[in-house]
Amino acid sequence: MSFRILFSLGMIILITALLAIPQSGHAQRMSHPNFNGGGRPSAAPSQNFNRPAPAVNRPAPPVNRPVVNRPPQQVQNHPAEQPRQIENRPTINGAGNMNHDYNQHNYTRNTAAHRAPVTVQKNVTVQHNVTVHENVNVYHNHYQPVHAYAYHPYHPYYWGHNWHPLGFFAASLATDAFLLSIANQQYYYDEGVYYQPSAGGYSVVPAPVGAMVSALPPGYETTMVGNDYYYYYGGAFYINTGNGYQVVQAPYGAVVTQIPDGAIQQDINGQTYLVYNNTYYQPVSENGTDAYEVVQVN
Amino acid sequence: MNKKFFFSVLFCISAATGASAQRTSIDTVAVSILDRMSAMIGSLSSCHYTVRSNYDIRSQHLGLVKHGDDEQIYMEGPNKLLIRSQGDRGERSLYYDGETLSYYSLENNQFATLALTAPIVDMIDTVNKLYGIEFPASDFFYPTFVDDLLSESKNLIYLGMTKVDGKDCYHIAGATPDMGYQFWISDDALTLPMKMVIVYTSRDMNPQYEATLSDWQINPVLPSSLFEFMVPPKAKKIKMAKSPVKK
Repeated sequence: MSFRILFSLGMIILITALLAIPQSGHAQRMSHPNFNGGGRPSAAPSQNFNRPAPAVNRPAPPVNRPVVNRPPQQVQNHPAEQPRQIENRPTINGAGNMNHDYNQHNYTRNTAAHRAPVTVQKNVTVQHNVTVHENVNVYHNHYQPVHAYAYHPYHPYYWGHNWHPLGFFAASLATDAFLLSIANQQYYYDEGVYYQPSAGGYSVVPAPVGAMVSALPPGYETTMVGNDYYYYYGGAFYINTGNGYQVVQAPYGAVVTQIPDGAIQQDINGQTYLVYNNTYYQPVSENGTDAYEVVQVN
Repeated sequence: MNKKFFFSVLFCISAATGASAQRTSIDTVAVSILDRMSAMIGSLSSCHYTVRSNYDIRSQHLGLVKHGDDEQIYMEGPNKLLIRSQGDRGERSLYYDGETLSYYSLENNQFATLALTAPIVDMIDTVNKLYGIEFPASDFFYPTFVDDLLSESKNLIYLGMTKVDGKDCYHIAGATPDMGYQFWISDDALTLPMKMVIVYTSRDMNPQYEATLSDWQINPVLPSSLFEFMVPPKAKKIKMAKSPVKK
């Protein structure tokens, strides 16, 4: 008799479970050994990786960035009410971690110091050439900084009155701003600054990789990496295609003299780096002049 | 003699190639792209997106059979979530208003509730672990997403550019001892996830899971009532049962 009761109870619980649970097979499919939130026990990484907790070394949010040398008129013209409201709203997951401590990993890393510009990567023939893709070492060579670390204070830089930092909000654009379409996204370009429509106006966004402009504003720098020339303006790197200047990823080894407003200082292994638009810049000295080298932090 | 030499060289090349294939390889370009995506998601205060998921379920007589669901996801930080799901598993909804998690099955007109106060990802992780409830493509929302991949992956490589639904995307692939995975991340200012595929290489017949994410809305204003569950007329309350401990 008691067995029947137990069996009946067991069946009820089983049916309840089957009805109540959207069964496995369509959700977070991967394990998350580094996530220690909620009521989940803290799980040790499965391999010999000893990564720091994400929140500890996470770059400070942009609201804390230094504003040294910010021209007064730009502060006054920054109607940041709406962006600030967004920044103050709680985020979905408390922000991602981009501070990977590569030193504590025991894998062989492949870096992209001399990877081909995006135009080459978009070549479908190359993309679907499995030999090229899987042999990352073909164009992903290990990168070592060329210049020695030489700390000097960060002075956020402005490229004149027409240049604006990331996040800057403009109610309207100059009449000579022109429209770009990159990866089904529309951008407006004006004087080395890229905008996207936002909250009834336009917000400055990072230069989209692949964007082509006919000319760069005065004040751009030229830097050479390997045998290639790159052009730098407003925190974005360009190559000269012959038909114009195309935005590319920041090339490792490029040396520039100015970092835009909006960079965040980050201390890694006792050295202070600047992080701007997900690119790490190492303070260096070149010919007695303060400069920054694009590096890969490892 | 020349022939022997040729085959010796060929053997050495083959051995070297084989050895390199076994080596752990993490492509920092891939890591950088995933970092950007993760940072973007981490900066969101609310979002809405659609997931079309396809998954294999093993049939004794038919092998792997494909099934699919369409899901609408609404999130608002730090602790509000709504998932509306339609597909082969019926029409279901999952509400989380920061205090109560409610599951509702339209076909069965049944609901279950669970008192729980936690941020979204903590709630997802806890409920997934305790009750086996899974959340569509929620891996991307873990703040430790990239760290988790790096911890477990033998290989993680950026393959190149390709298109998903006509949109240029970074194509990234990797493998852990138990699965192969691929992500497609949009090549635009937002760098949002567009698609993911997982192949369970350690499971029988290597079933796959595929999710295509679309209709992204960034920081939309969502009413609080969206996340509050109202018990439908005549709905029966059932108990949420704990799942067996996962491996």
